Amino acid sequence: MWEAIIIKPFTNALLFIYNIVGGNFGVAIILFTILIRLITHPLMVKQIKGAQGMQELQKNPEWLQIQEKYKGDKEKLAQEQMRLYKELGINPFASCLPTLIQFPIIIGLYQAVIAALASTPVDLLNLLRNIYPGFLNVASLIPLNSKFLWMDLGMPERLNIPGISFGIPVLVVIVVITTYVQSKLIATPSANPKDQTAAMTNAMNLYMPIFMGYLAYTLASGLALYFIASNLIGILQYAMLGKVNWANVIPWMKKPEVSPSMKSAAKPAVKSTTSTASKSRSKPTARPPMKPASKSGSKSKK
Amino acid sequence: MRYKKFTTALLVLLSALLLASCTGNLSGTSWPGISTTDDTIYVAYLNRIYAVRAQDGSVVWQYPDKAGRETYFAAPVVADGHLIAGDYQNNLFSLDPGSGALQWTFSEAKGKWIASPLVVDGKILAPNGDATLYALDLNGSLLWKFPTKRALWSQPVSDGQHVYQASMDHRIYAIDLNNGSEIWSVDLGGAVLYSPILSEDGVLYVSSLARNLVALNTTDGSVLWERNFESDLWTQPALANGNLFFGDTKGLVFAVSAADGSDVWSQAINEPVLGRPTEITEGIIFPTENGSLIAVNFKGERLWSRAFEGAIYTGPVKIGDTLAVGIAQGKEFLKLINASTGQDVWTFVAPK
Repeated sequence: MWEAIIIKPFTNALLFIYNIVGGNFGVAIILFTILIRLITHPLMVKQIKGAQGMQELQKNPEWLQIQEKYKGDKEKLAQEQMRLYKELGINPFASCLPTLIQFPIIIGLYQAVIAALASTPVDLLNLLRNIYPGFLNVASLIPLNSKFLWMDLGMPERLNIPGISFGIPVLVVIVVITTYVQSKLIATPSANPKDQTAAMTNAMNLYMPIFMGYLAYTLASGLALYFIASNLIGILQYAMLGKVNWANVIPWMKKPEVSPSMKSAAKPAVKSTTSTASKSRSKPTARPPMKPASKSGSKSKK
Repeated sequence: MRYKKFTTALLVLLSALLLASCTGNLSGTSWPGISTTDDTIYVAYLNRIYAVRAQDGSVVWQYPDKAGRETYFAAPVVADGHLIAGDYQNNLFSLDPGSGALQWTFSEAKGKWIASPLVVDGKILAPNGDATLYALDLNGSLLWKFPTKRALWSQPVSDGQHVYQASMDHRIYAIDLNNGSEIWSVDLGGAVLYSPILSEDGVLYVSSLARNLVALNTTDGSVLWERNFESDLWTQPALANGNLFFGDTKGLVFAVSAADGSDVWSQAINEPVLGRPTEITEGIIFPTENGSLIAVNFKGERLWSRAFEGAIYTGPVKIGDTLAVGIAQGKEFLKLINASTGQDVWTFVAPK
């Protein structure tokens, strides 16, 4: 099932691109990554907007008031939360659902690259069975030209420089840097430095580049090339949507200001919610309408 | 905010786990590589090489004692007091065939050792995945090397003067055994995965991914005849009684005349044949990917068949009147069976 829906079409598409770019597998990987990223772009936009909506909700005075009011009654709190979602037109799954849909695509792309780089007889046999009959001329296509720049895309990459006794893993360094930069660029600032979730995200932002670097160090360099292309295109996509926090990686750039409501949310729960609650109690109908997610998001970054 | 970050962290963790699990298949899957002497079977599979007594299937030695990251699939070769084997981590090495002690290691190659080496006239001819044929002396010192354009996955053959090496670059090369210079080469139209067969009268028979079987004159590489087929030929033919026996990936098996490639007989066994057929006294045994061995006489009439759990990607190896069968993807990877009946003699149990 997985093979028929994901691996086969992806592998055939990858090999088709390889064929039309004149047998350069490195270029084929890059173009295929771009193609997949373009196809999944609407999902990515939806995910960002959904996340933005959830972020805005955290600043909403009514939500803060509800949290304080029903902090001892989880069931009621959940009911009120759902009511507020409905009122504000927020879909709580809007941020994670598109990501979940993208997930098999990313894994499929990864597996297609591995399958196409078949470096053992059994791998090649599986590859041949995944090519649609009559779609590509197997006899002329196989074996794939796995050479790209100084690399053999079927093997871990090392750049050998005369005078240095060991090979330098250049791609590994680039994978680590681009993964780290991407995760930092798309990270939203947390108002609360003691926020455990934010701490966990920060830890993942640190461990993920190391993990990806380890994969790039030990596995075929074709995958490292895919990781790099994917990271760079990801950064570009976020930048085009105005969702990149350059200040996170460029120290002299001004950090985005944390909005007052976020600051108040960062304070100890009783104090912050009391102050916000008292404001909203004085004007119970004065709840500010939700602004469009993208506008408020870009505003907070300026 | 908290919800979003938690989701993000969860997805990152999930992706890390999935990517890690996806890499599990990267170590290179293959089938057991088997070679035999009069009384011992050597089998390379997964992370060890075993020397097994042919008499009862007990272990003589295993290498390495403590399994590491290395994986071994190419059938080891025994010659002149050496057991030459390669791994998927670029090392070719010599073990003492009696004790399994390491004698030397050659680490200059950059690719996997997928094919078995060949030992001729005191020279080790070792094809590597880095597209190079290495010639070493019996001490592991490099004599010469012959580069091709793509990976070498098949064992070379030799007539004592020349080496014939098939390559994934679609060509078969004739190389001078003494100095590694090229004599001739021929484009076969498709990648060559399996070794050619060299007949006593100097004809090479080789199949390629272009779905063809070609007979070549070893003198100059000229094509004597060529046959094309409808399905992939993922096998080396077996030469017996003046005929070539082979199967295809759709489950057809063929016997063609070695003299001119004309049909002798063909029949459907409905199981993909991906390994070299083996000649026995009574006929030919075809190994199938479904895990069967199907024995037919030279006329194509069924003698016996056996089914095993797993897949068989290479022909069984003769040792006396028995056959050593290598099984991939099954619970057991080495069995000894009677060549005439197909009945089990013993099943090898690898020590834990």
